[in-house]
Amino acid sequence: MSTLKNKRLDDSEFSTEQKEVLATWPTGADVDFYEAIEFQKSIPEEKRFSSALAEANKGRKTLIQPRAGVALLNEHIDLLQALSVEADLLPTTIDAYTRQNQYAEAQNGIQRSLEAGRSLLNGFPAVNHGLKSCRILANAIEKPIQVRHGTPDARLLTEITLAAGFTSYEGGGISYNIPYAKKISLEATLRHWQYTDRLVGKYEENGVRINREPFGPLTGSLVPPFISHTVAIIEGLLALEQGVKCLTLGYGQLGNMIQDVAAVASLRELADEAFNSAGYSGYQLTTVLHQWMGGFPEDESKAFSVIALGSAVAALSKATKVIVKTPHEASGIPTKDANLMGLKATRQMVSLLQDQSMLEIKRVIEEKELIKKEVKHLLAKVFELGDGDIAIGTVRAFQAGVLDVPFAPSIHNAGKLMPVRDNEGAVRILEKAKVPMLAEVVEVHQARIKQRADTEKREPNYQMLIDDIYSVGKGRLVGRPR
Amino acid sequence: MQPVKIVLGVIGADCHAVGNQILEKIFSQNDIEVVNLGVMVSQDEFIDAAIETKADAICVSSLYGQGELDCEGLRGRCIERGLEDIILYVGGNLVIGKKAFSETEETFKKMGFDRVFSPDADINNVSQILKDDVAGRRK
Repeated sequence: MSTLKNKRLDDSEFSTEQKEVLATWPTGADVDFYEAIEFQKSIPEEKRFSSALAEANKGRKTLIQPRAGVALLNEHIDLLQALSVEADLLPTTIDAYTRQNQYAEAQNGIQRSLEAGRSLLNGFPAVNHGLKSCRILANAIEKPIQVRHGTPDARLLTEITLAAGFTSYEGGGISYNIPYAKKISLEATLRHWQYTDRLVGKYEENGVRINREPFGPLTGSLVPPFISHTVAIIEGLLALEQGVKCLTLGYGQLGNMIQDVAAVASLRELADEAFNSAGYSGYQLTTVLHQWMGGFPEDESKAFSVIALGSAVAALSKATKVIVKTPHEASGIPTKDANLMGLKATRQMVSLLQDQSMLEIKRVIEEKELIKKEVKHLLAKVFELGDGDIAIGTVRAFQAGVLDVPFAPSIHNAGKLMPVRDNEGAVRILEKAKVPMLAEVVEVHQARIKQRADTEKREPNYQMLIDDIYSVGKGRLVGRPR
Repeated sequence: MQPVKIVLGVIGADCHAVGNQILEKIFSQNDIEVVNLGVMVSQDEFIDAAIETKADAICVSSLYGQGELDCEGLRGRCIERGLEDIILYVGGNLVIGKKAFSETEETFKKMGFDRVFSPDADINNVSQILKDDVAGRRK
């Protein structure tokens, strides 16, 4: 805790660290920052993430983006080229060994995939493939590409992929720790992500804009909007301090349309407010909605309905982009064809609703005001715990259970906050534990939950929460008793 | 009969935590003693815990698709370390890509797992099957 502060990293400290980072795996040696700047500058405008987002934002359009990544380079290029027919923005999803910096295991996965003639890894091991291969990939794809992963220490991955020509980078020191790690401390990951953000800041200062996207949905399991929004805004503040100028803040669809539209709308307003009051300006802010991150129906037709609901929310809330699920979601990693089907279903819905919005609806505005009240209260508490420093405040807030994410694997998360759906499926707080909430707000949540409990004639408890975890997969939003 | 005791965890570099927490809850409700190692558990951690707690079974979850790589050799490693008779269960989204469950089941049975479960398995049923398997093994 002695060194972590929300302060721009010192140049000499950064270069010392950079040498260490690039030496952690042999492929790091190929990275040359100034050569990378020149290469990034040669990338045409239509392949830059920031430009695509700016244009969509201006036209109030919603762009669509899949998840995708396989073990081998040529297969990965084939996959992205196929998806680029339907998608506006492309990903490269990184495998789970690379996410834990287990490059030797990733190498074994590449070898085994070669032998098997199919991918045995759940993503593209970019560090092992190295700069040259990643650049072949970036050159082969005609649309903007983003790195999507879940890596607590992503410093080397950032160096290699940005030098290779990726123009957007997902993650953050909280959102890629609490849902993605078991034991690694927040001090460590916040510091690692200051490095990533500082590197993006250095690209920016050299005339290259890289988009940064904190991972919005966290555990993707009934995370109340005000919790994930607070985390997203904190990560935005941390990134801005390191010189990042292009931010996309995210939110994972929960299922109740009013709450979901209100969540996207409030995220944008809250972020602007928080960033401005912290003294930042001149940044580019957009939003992303993740289609339902929880359990999906096994039946593919039913899965399309879940995909369509998320697409509708994205369009009606004017999210700048939507991350797309597939009809194979219940079984895990999709095939190329299933991925394409998810994109087509999403495109159709987003296009149908392109000229409509739910932002003016009274109940949406009420819900939005509720979320804003919740976030402001929580964010103020985090600042207070850090004596004005949001990085220190974040560490202390997790220690105290003030920031608490449901169903997270990390031992540094209290896991005491208990959400549950209300009678209309909106996610409310059943047990706030140590999370600060205004008394008047708690009353709203309790009243909504009581409506459901009365309807179902049962006490709201952990069983109700379990029912809500599995409900979407079983064909309804509210986990009613059988 | 002595209560059935299991070691539970999510194998490899997998951090899917939700199902793990619910499994612990439901197994416990079925009077099964659960030693829950949580997410990101290595083969050796499973085996160490099974030896230390004298567990009847190791129940492995994998949700992220790399289960095929992570689970390979677990049976052999158990035998090496003196757990010849331990029951091995595995469940979740075990392979990359949508495949017929029977195919996946065969893959994992060949690896030495006694039973293989799909992600929609009813855990109350699994609990009963587990108790029967343990009773059979203890005879």
